[in-house]
Amino acid sequence: MEHNTLRKLQELLGRGKVLASEAELLCYSYDATPRVSHRPDAVVRAFSEEDIRVALEFAAAEGLPVTARGSGTGLSGGSTPVKGGIVLLTTAMDRILEIDADDLSVTVEPGAITARLHAAVEEKGLFYPPDPASMKISTIGGNVAENSGGLRGLKYGITGDYVMALDTFLVDGSKVHYGTKCVKDVAGYNLTKLLVGSEGTLGIFSKITLKLIPKPQSKITFLALYDDVLDAARTVSAIISRKIIPSTLELMDSVTINCVEDYVGIGLPRDVAALLLIEADGHQEVVREEAAGIEQACKANRVRTLRVASDAAESEKLFTARRNALSALARLKPTTILEDVTVPRPAIPEMMAAVRETAQKFGLTIGTFGHAGDGNLHPTCPTDERDADEMRKVEEAFDVIFRKAISLGGTISGEHGTGVTKSKYLPHMIGPKAIEVMRRVKSAFDPEGRLNPGKIFLEDSP
Amino acid sequence: MGRSIDPEKISKAFATLDAHDYGDVIQCMRCGTCLPTCPTYRTDGIETQSPRGRMAMIRAVIDGRLPASEEFIEHMYHCLDCRNCQSVCPAGVKVGELVLEARHRIEENRPQPRLKRLLLHHLIRDQRGMSRLLTPLRWLQAARVPSLARKYGILKLISEDLEFMEALLPPLPARPLSETIPEEIPARGVVKGRVGFFLGCAMNLIFAEVSRATVDVLSGAGYTLIIPKGQQCCGAPNIAEGERKTCREMAEHNMRLFAERDVDTIVTDCAACGSELKGYRELFRSRSGLAGMSEQFSGKTQDISEFLSAALGPDAVFRPMDEVVCFHDPCHSRHAQKVLRQPRELLRRIPGVVFQDLPDEGQCCGSAGVYNITHRERSMKILEAKVAAIGRTGARRVITSNPGCLMQLQYARMRWRQDWTVSHITEFLREALEGGEIARSTFS
Ligand SMILES: Cc1cc2nc3c(=O)[nH]c(=O)nc-3n(C[C@H](O)[C@H](O)[C@H](O)COP(=O)(O)OP(=O)(O)OC[C@H]3O[C@@H](n4cnc5c(N)ncnc54)[C@H](O)[C@@H]3O)c2cc1C
Ligand code: SF4
Ligand code: SF4
Repeated sequence: MEHNTLRKLQELLGRGKVLASEAELLCYSYDATPRVSHRPDAVVRAFSEEDIRVALEFAAAEGLPVTARGSGTGLSGGSTPVKGGIVLLTTAMDRILEIDADDLSVTVEPGAITARLHAAVEEKGLFYPPDPASMKISTIGGNVAENSGGLRGLKYGITGDYVMALDTFLVDGSKVHYGTKCVKDVAGYNLTKLLVGSEGTLGIFSKITLKLIPKPQSKITFLALYDDVLDAARTVSAIISRKIIPSTLELMDSVTINCVEDYVGIGLPRDVAALLLIEADGHQEVVREEAAGIEQACKANRVRTLRVASDAAESEKLFTARRNALSALARLKPTTILEDVTVPRPAIPEMMAAVRETAQKFGLTIGTFGHAGDGNLHPTCPTDERDADEMRKVEEAFDVIFRKAISLGGTISGEHGTGVTKSKYLPHMIGPKAIEVMRRVKSAFDPEGRLNPGKIFLEDSP
Repeated sequence: MGRSIDPEKISKAFATLDAHDYGDVIQCMRCGTCLPTCPTYRTDGIETQSPRGRMAMIRAVIDGRLPASEEFIEHMYHCLDCRNCQSVCPAGVKVGELVLEARHRIEENRPQPRLKRLLLHHLIRDQRGMSRLLTPLRWLQAARVPSLARKYGILKLISEDLEFMEALLPPLPARPLSETIPEEIPARGVVKGRVGFFLGCAMNLIFAEVSRATVDVLSGAGYTLIIPKGQQCCGAPNIAEGERKTCREMAEHNMRLFAERDVDTIVTDCAACGSELKGYRELFRSRSGLAGMSEQFSGKTQDISEFLSAALGPDAVFRPMDEVVCFHDPCHSRHAQKVLRQPRELLRRIPGVVFQDLPDEGQCCGSAGVYNITHRERSMKILEAKVAAIGRTGARRVITSNPGCLMQLQYARMRWRQDWTVSHITEFLREALEGGEIARSTFS
């Protein structure tokens, strides 16, 4: 950024809120997505709505792109500034503004860390279910922008199912408030639903009201171990077809189990082919009934052993192990390529088999884990980006996997968003007409294409 | 700074980070798991102050995407080397240690100021010399000058750093422990074994009284102590400043001193020393002549809690200590040595003690070698958070096991007028064991 332009921005906001040194720009060029990196021209740390407005107006006057950023844990490159410009950091706006225990809602600033929100509402006997594996790091703003899922998505839904109202800054610096705390609200187009999952391309959230529910009274956690990953996959649909919706139904295959065990060392057996982490919660009676059904489903599908967590601490340990799956796989090799395919649940065994065959065919290690109950799998390939030959194979292998997912009626991204990494698959997935409609929506909000350009659409001419 | 650097020369030194180390660097998958644990990210809230950011900077210098500028060098010194990130990183990235490697490559390739050379190459080798340097301070303390000076803010007029350092230092012992302690202290009662006692500069020169407690507890537990004369610094200050040559020389000297004596274990009551001594095996890994000796030496080294939790057998008799206590983990024991369970087990064994978990366990206190002097503002923010955490436990005594933490916490207690006291774990154990089999040592 030109020296003068930068000075102007610093004068408007105050020096401490603008970062622009070489090292600082480098450190805001990436998120958690492998091999994606783009340097901004300046980083603005917003401490208030006023800061957001000033930054946006400045960018409008200078014609600069603006990319919102939370904690930078995104897995589709969402917060990397593909076209440079300003990265607008909302992590310093992290207050929990109001917990309405009477009407079951919470209002937060976008930078509030997801796990902190959990703790704050649970202290009051309330419950905010969405729990992405990154919850100790990720911000609510990022969760809403990516419409993130989590381990409890199967029964409780995902972030978008809890967003009631949003204060959103538009690209010109004006602000729109939409939504209420009302359980029912059909005033006009549902802008809240539209903005959820918009990946920072339509507007920048400054205030978020989320729905809460009462904390479930009791729960039971199972660890089911299998000698064949396909049996584990079949168990998933066997549970669902018994009309049981567990709160959590997670899968890890042997590659993942071994890496996780290397890291957490909680005594997961290393010789199994797969495990399911299953949790049922709710009223005691219901939990008991569901537990019986889950047990049947596991046994009908050749489970090797089925263990019940003895207490909350053990259950928490198992969940932590699962949350660390991705990062633990990263131990194996320098580069970790993770995917996010999702298929209808009955197709999980076929999808798992396809992943396994593809890995064999290309001579790659692929560990698979994921929210099996949602049909959402994360085939993950530990590799080395310095090995161009292998990288090509990885790309080809994932191409095969994506196509298989789509042919099974699935999707290329269950929860990590389209961002930069999936944009090339989007047309294939949704077709030209849907792309065209999306473009029209985008240009209605952002006619100059300055909000997080380079995302979702292949080339970003509006 | 003033000293001119040659970024290209430093960059070249980074380019030769061998494949293995580079593998460590690119092993970082940028997941961000380390962010909420890093004390500097917590205080500053920006990516440049995070482990992930530090890895990104180092990698960019290796790849030639970021010049090894003054700014980069400063960033390498913002890290506390607390290694909290290493405890949580699922991918096994050793950020703290890689930052030290970066400092090494930087310092090897830029001019070193004379004072620093004098300190790290010469003075540090000589406990007696360092003690002599402290003499004027001892006189001042004896003449009660500090309290007067504090009252009138005299030192502040000279320099705020000086005033801070004066407030940080506890009353100094008249003589370092190395001057008075015999070379061998017999075990009391049934002899269970022979341990070497590594003194360590800060304990020896500043906390001699605390180390006496360590001696009493060890000999009372049935261990003959061997304290070889002429021990040198463990080398931790050198490593922190990127210096390796003198560090290796001192390490070799120390290893030989203990190798000559027949000891089963080498014990230290300083967490920083413990971590450094255990690191000798890494320091000499590629040096065939000393690899075996360092492997042995590091293998024998134990932190005091690590040793005592096993050595104080079921026969140890504690008297009841009706006190609410909490334990502050020194980063170099918890994160660098993974000593975590042992001090807790020891404290829980004492009847009457109410042990409270410290919220945000494992967070640094901000002492971190000389970090509280070189980066005082941030260090104080980190310390303030620690004080608040201690406050929430209701503990009346904060127990720890590292000289830097002792000083920092004692300073915090005065500055924020807290109603708790601070003790080294061996001081507390000696109190609890007194009346049982332990008597105080008599050498003077
Ligand atoms: C180890 C690990 C585990 C993960 N597990 C899961 C999981 O289980 N489920 C899941 O869904 N995801 C998961 N993710 C992905 C990621 O954590 C989520 O996408 C998360 O919501 C991102 O939050 P963030 O604060 O890091 O946002 P960032 O990565 O900083 O940004 C993400 C997107 O949100 C936009 N954005 C950020 N703040 C705002 C704002 N205030 N207004 C408008 N737009 C904004 C950005 O522009 C960007 O497009 C995981 C990631 C990692 C590294
Ligand atoms: S250092 Fe470890 S925890 Fe931190 S971002 Fe890198 S891989 Fe993740
Ligand atoms: S060693 Fe401590 S200060 Fe340094 S990056 Fe790791 S957590 Fe942060």
